[in-house]
Amino acid sequence: MRSHYAHLGLLSQLSSALGHESARLELRWMMQALREASNRQRGSSLAEMVARRMSGEPLQYILGSQPFGPLNLLARSPVLIPRPETEHWTMRLSEYVTPSASRPISLLDLCTGSGCIPLLLCHLWPSGSVRAFGVDIASEAIQLASENTAICGFHTPSDNPPSQSPSFRNTFRPILSDIRDPTFLRKSGLYPPFHVVTSNPPYIPRREYDSLPPSVRDFEDRRALLGDPDSEQGDGLTFYRDIARLVANEKLLADDGVLAVEVGKGQAKDVERILQDQAKLPKTTIWRDPWLIERVVVATR
Amino acid sequence: MQDPDPTMQSLAREEQDDLLTKLTGLAEKTFPSLLVPPSPTAHLSAMLELKAGVGGSESSLFLTEIMRMYTRLAQMMGWQAVVVTNSTTDHGGTKDAVVEIKGEKVYDMLRWESGVHRVQRVPATEVNGRVHTSTVAVLVLPLVEDKGSEVDEDLFKMDEVRIEVMRARGAGGQHVNKTESAVRLTHIPTGITVSMQDERSQHQNRRRAFLVLRARLMDRKLTEEVTNRRDVRRSLVSSVDRSEKIRTYNFPQDRVTDHRIGLSLRNVASVMDGGGLQDFLDGLAKKHQDDLLEEAFNTL
Ligand SMILES: C[S@@+](CC[C@H](N)C(=O)[O-])C[C@H]1O[C@@H](n2cnc3c(N)ncnc32)[C@H](O)[C@@H]1O
Repeated sequence: MRSHYAHLGLLSQLSSALGHESARLELRWMMQALREASNRQRGSSLAEMVARRMSGEPLQYILGSQPFGPLNLLARSPVLIPRPETEHWTMRLSEYVTPSASRPISLLDLCTGSGCIPLLLCHLWPSGSVRAFGVDIASEAIQLASENTAICGFHTPSDNPPSQSPSFRNTFRPILSDIRDPTFLRKSGLYPPFHVVTSNPPYIPRREYDSLPPSVRDFEDRRALLGDPDSEQGDGLTFYRDIARLVANEKLLADDGVLAVEVGKGQAKDVERILQDQAKLPKTTIWRDPWLIERVVVATR
Repeated sequence: MQDPDPTMQSLAREEQDDLLTKLTGLAEKTFPSLLVPPSPTAHLSAMLELKAGVGGSESSLFLTEIMRMYTRLAQMMGWQAVVVTNSTTDHGGTKDAVVEIKGEKVYDMLRWESGVHRVQRVPATEVNGRVHTSTVAVLVLPLVEDKGSEVDEDLFKMDEVRIEVMRARGAGGQHVNKTESAVRLTHIPTGITVSMQDERSQHQNRRRAFLVLRARLMDRKLTEEVTNRRDVRRSLVSSVDRSEKIRTYNFPQDRVTDHRIGLSLRNVASVMDGGGLQDFLDGLAKKHQDDLLEEAFNTL
């Protein structure tokens, strides 16, 4: 009964911050996480979790995980928390491109963060159908992506050179590198072309950054969010122009390859034009997210 | 049989006894199974949907207890019970819940539990000692085996289902990191909707929503089959009116009464513990069997 009252107190605190409905669900997920952790080690108490949440910290960092499709990935500040919009289009891409063990493909994910996109594809596609690579500039991201890769069982045996890694498994290798550095492909030991190139690059314009919810702005890496890293202005589309240049100049994408990039609200048309004009990918399609916002531009030759 | 020889006499009597046993056997076992075909739903598991009815918080407290009654029963029967979703109140009650129970003959044994369950007692919070009446609605749905895929071609097609996310997310994407995993399915031909939001994983919510949708559609199909069989209207138990009060749990009198078969049992606690519930299930199953038999005789 006492713990009952304690919970009620926590619930009403949380409700004041999140509204009743979300508070009820989140408290329940915290309790679930505590129950599941209790066999191993009890890190923090429910009250501590609620206090962290009240201070604006995202639930996913507090619980240390985020489901992504059927996967349960590690989440850790400041690496960007995988979003449901990204989950949705990645599932869709897994049906749009259909590799098999007899027709395996290679995949490159630019700005890979937690590794969520290639890891879900490795999971959904048949064994031995894909060799995936991911690049990120943040060492925290690469560290987390490596842990996620090991948890999901898609790591490459490090003692084998990549070309000799067993082909009956899907594999994913996260690599620390700056995709805006013109020599990054060579430096990273990446050999284009790739059949599929995916990216959810930072796309938030500077002028929108300050008004982001604190749980985003104060806890997630600004490098993961700001679309124009070198500029105080801009439309947030710097990374799309860089990616277009890689496709045009470095033969990043195979002739029959597919490029899929996530975009921010209202950016799809502009990105579509960049990919057509600068990447020379004439065929483009826009996919909407479950909230009916134009979210992904898919481009082919 | 008037044979003067005592040996012959006793032989005849033995024969007669034999014949009697055989006849009784025929009447009790063979005839019914000849007349009443084996249950076509024997392989189905069940999904229980529980909803608090009249009586406010007392009703949701009783729902928690009813849910426990069924999970206890499942334990005793060696079935697997999983709470698929439940929304709890701030006072330890449950507003609604879905419980999946898997095992042999689960649906056949539990299907008569559908209906309104009524509790009469003095709520813990009632200072004047007045007896309150509250209700919980139970719906038992047939559960088809989860084949791993969302669609079950016998029940529906994917393009008949509208899948929606529930809350607005503003700009969404990188701008927002709030968990948003609620899902709503609408089966367009029937208008059936299923909402699921308990899990952090959109994927899980979606899977569970499809599970419930399949159960509802299966239920519809079975109910249609039953109403299409002409004689069944006469049967008491199988008339499926789910808004009907079927059972009363009277705590002051320590008595549980099933209104369809008129069976009354002392000891509410033993029923709530699952054990006593079996007597009701047996009674209802027997009633159903008798109804089917009568139907069969009438249509011979
Ligand atoms: C929006 S996050 C996407 C993370 C992940 N792909 C996802 O969908 O959840 C963008 C990522 O790009 C990385 N990033 C930013 N600038 C980069 C650069 N110049 N080169 C490589 N990665 C970069 C950030 O560290 C961050 O992890």
